[in-house]
Amino acid sequence: MSRDAILARIRTARPPATALPDIHALPFVQYDDRYAAFAGLIANLGGQALQLAENQTIRQAVAAHFPAHGRLVDLTQAGHEEADSPHAWHDVDVAIVPGQLAVAENAAVWVSTPGNRYRSLYFLTQKLVLVVPRAQLVDTMRDAYRHIRIEEHGFGCFISGSSRTADIEQSLVMGAHGAMAALVLFV
Amino acid sequence: MKDDSVNHARAARDFLQDHAHASWHDSAIWWVRHKRDVQAAQLPEWEGLRELARQIKAHTLSHLDVYLQEFEAKARANGVMVHWAADAAEHNRIVHGILAAHSVKKLVKSKSMLTEECGLNPYLETRGIEVIDTDLGERIVQLRHEAPSHIVMPAIHLKKEQIGELFQRELGTAAGNNDPTYLTHAARTNLREHFLSADAGLTGVNFAIAETGAVVVCTNEGNADLGAALPPLHIASMGLEKVIPKLEHLSVFTRLLARSAIGSPTTTYTSHFERARPGGEMHIVIVDNGRSDILGRADFYESLRCIRCGACMNTCPVYRRSSGFSYSYIIPGPIGSTLGPSRDIKKHASMAFACTTCGSCNNVCPVKIPLADQLVAQRARAFDAGAMAKGKKGGVLALRTLLGHPKLFELAGGAMRKIVPILPERLNSAIPYSRPGRELPTMPAQSFKQWWQQNRKKP
Amino acid sequence: MPCEPMKIGLFIPCHVNALTPHIAIATLELLEAYGLDVDYPMAQTCCGQPLFNNGDLKGAAAAAHRFSQLFAGYDYVVAPSSSCVSHTACHYPPHTPGYAALQPRIYEIVEFLQDVLNVSALPKPVYFPHKVSIHQSCHGLRQRNHATASELMLPYQSRLERILALVDGITLTQPQRRDECCGFGGTFCVDEADVSVAMGQDRIAGHAATGAEFIVGAEASCLMHMGGILRHQHGTLRTLHIVEILNGKAAA
Repeated sequence: MSRDAILARIRTARPPATALPDIHALPFVQYDDRYAAFAGLIANLGGQALQLAENQTIRQAVAAHFPAHGRLVDLTQAGHEEADSPHAWHDVDVAIVPGQLAVAENAAVWVSTPGNRYRSLYFLTQKLVLVVPRAQLVDTMRDAYRHIRIEEHGFGCFISGSSRTADIEQSLVMGAHGAMAALVLFV
Repeated sequence: MKDDSVNHARAARDFLQDHAHASWHDSAIWWVRHKRDVQAAQLPEWEGLRELARQIKAHTLSHLDVYLQEFEAKARANGVMVHWAADAAEHNRIVHGILAAHSVKKLVKSKSMLTEECGLNPYLETRGIEVIDTDLGERIVQLRHEAPSHIVMPAIHLKKEQIGELFQRELGTAAGNNDPTYLTHAARTNLREHFLSADAGLTGVNFAIAETGAVVVCTNEGNADLGAALPPLHIASMGLEKVIPKLEHLSVFTRLLARSAIGSPTTTYTSHFERARPGGEMHIVIVDNGRSDILGRADFYESLRCIRCGACMNTCPVYRRSSGFSYSYIIPGPIGSTLGPSRDIKKHASMAFACTTCGSCNNVCPVKIPLADQLVAQRARAFDAGAMAKGKKGGVLALRTLLGHPKLFELAGGAMRKIVPILPERLNSAIPYSRPGRELPTMPAQSFKQWWQQNRKKP
Repeated sequence: MPCEPMKIGLFIPCHVNALTPHIAIATLELLEAYGLDVDYPMAQTCCGQPLFNNGDLKGAAAAAHRFSQLFAGYDYVVAPSSSCVSHTACHYPPHTPGYAALQPRIYEIVEFLQDVLNVSALPKPVYFPHKVSIHQSCHGLRQRNHATASELMLPYQSRLERILALVDGITLTQPQRRDECCGFGGTFCVDEADVSVAMGQDRIAGHAATGAEFIVGAEASCLMHMGGILRHQHGTLRTLHIVEILNGKAAA
């Protein structure tokens, strides 16, 4: 077993002990208008932020944003469709997914949906809609890490905008492997 | 595969022959440095954040055995299988063993410099396993049978025309269509098929959380997520320096990583893997492969703080003008030029000299590794090991002697001032300083010392 | 002005002594014009930076020892070189005999004028009606904090700009990528001659694009390197060490 040999080598090699800093002692940036910060950022990251209007349902807002679409899965609805394998989500066009929290500094949404069996949905869908309570919009990742919990089957993810790459000549292209378009609906 | 016998200066000369391409390479990568500056400037706490990151990593390295054991215990409690590999060979054996036990035919991989370091792909391929790199840049270099030339932008050495030709040949894209969007989406379609038909997924690890046993992987493309979410088997390979104490510490590192790496406020996906997906299995391989040796070296252990953002490459004026393939170690640029020589000073000595000591890398590094200082310290190892360029050590020793003898030193300077101006053109251009594009300094009539003796010397 | 006469040991880098003595003379004259007693220890050779940067720590330590003995008797050590000052002030072995007392008294010339003499005027008025592009040399910039390095998210300051503001008629500018290395790098310029020249060409193009007539800096070696490329290009842009402007010698 290499385990014990590696640990023994580390014990002889490790540098003199230093203290763990208090990460809360440093003031982090705060935003006067978190929604504006979030919405401004995500517009450059292959996404869009929208505030759900009064008298508007989530499905109405999604239909307005993605008028013609194929297979739609809506995890925000009770008794939603389930898949019997992660591959079964392969042809989903629009996925509506609850997000627990959003971060103003980087337009990220924390996704860890209680009980959802196959997270492959978030990455296979062509268009991803994240539904987040407006009250759960925080300033920075430090605030986010205070609140998030892994509620799904051992998985949680911050998602910020669309899947993207700049691997060809630094040209930004949306839709590398995951969602080609992202919509964050604040409710 | 990387040519690990390359000499930096010679390879850089070849790279610079194509002036237009070299200039493009410099500008394209400088643009990423510029975007990093713009993002960093958005956070008034930027410099404080770097200091926090440095301190967290320094603390962790000084308690590394403790945090690795905590991480292992938590991961096991989550139902994850944890393996330890002393070196690259053991890592490859472990990974192959897991794959073989599951009769894996096809493995989809997301970006992992560790598996490049271990040479995992050829190891698995010779044992009949199809390995598909899924990061777009990695896929491009895999199809070209090349190594990545940058740790974050693996194909930054290529122009879209070269990628268009490659994809026409390999993926059947339309001839002459070099549009990045078109090419990217062609790769997307092709790689989707591989994701859906793969038997296993292998990811790297950006951070391993001792407190929870989770591993965190950051990508913009979502390839790590697809690779870990679809097949029933997920293997995560991590260098043992990737562990951090607590979940909350991610709020420091995730804020620095993408801003430093690509000038973006975050990566698209910051995924926390605590357990296998339902019906699946998750394995973590913790790899030493020389890291514990570096940990024990006072001059170099700080390089283990590295979070692989690549900012040091983007700011390095030498890297931008010589490209990743001029460096003999798999990781190029400033961080590679300390990690490589730490492993093998004789093989990688030229990397330590591929540096003007400008120090820009020290200032962009999000964990404040004194990279330029480490490179100079590696030169001392090269000097002691006799690994310097041919004839150089003799020159250095001659200079050492001259410095102790002011009269001789002055005589040597005087001889230079007399001889250089009367050298024939042919001889003059043989002096190493006289590369095309540069003239030797104009030789003054006398030195300052001579002037002082004539004009100021007190009796 | 200082209340007590101070004794200055003039530290002239080996390459300035041998190749650009006019910079040493300008430095000396500038210090003398402020009424200072300046001496030049004749036994000086080289600070040892080329040895240190090539891994010869033993030779570098011997050079540190020589330097510390040679300059021990002076109140201040002043040099027209941000890089050699960086080496002597930042990289000498701390336990070199005599070094601990000497180290805080080693100054690059602009640092000395600003931090020790606290000058608010030049010894005699200088009129220099030209546009100059400032070249921040790496060691002065990042080891001696001559300006805020562009990588750091800290308030901007620049020593060279502050002191050149005392010159009449001058217009200051900076290149795009305001502090990228010129590619000199000591023996790097020979070891990696091709990259060195490519970097120098780019740096010169950056300075030239500002429309400046002069590249001005506080490190003679960077200026020598760029000067060699400029001469090859037969361009009109010229390099000047900052002391050449401050002592009025460069005034046209």
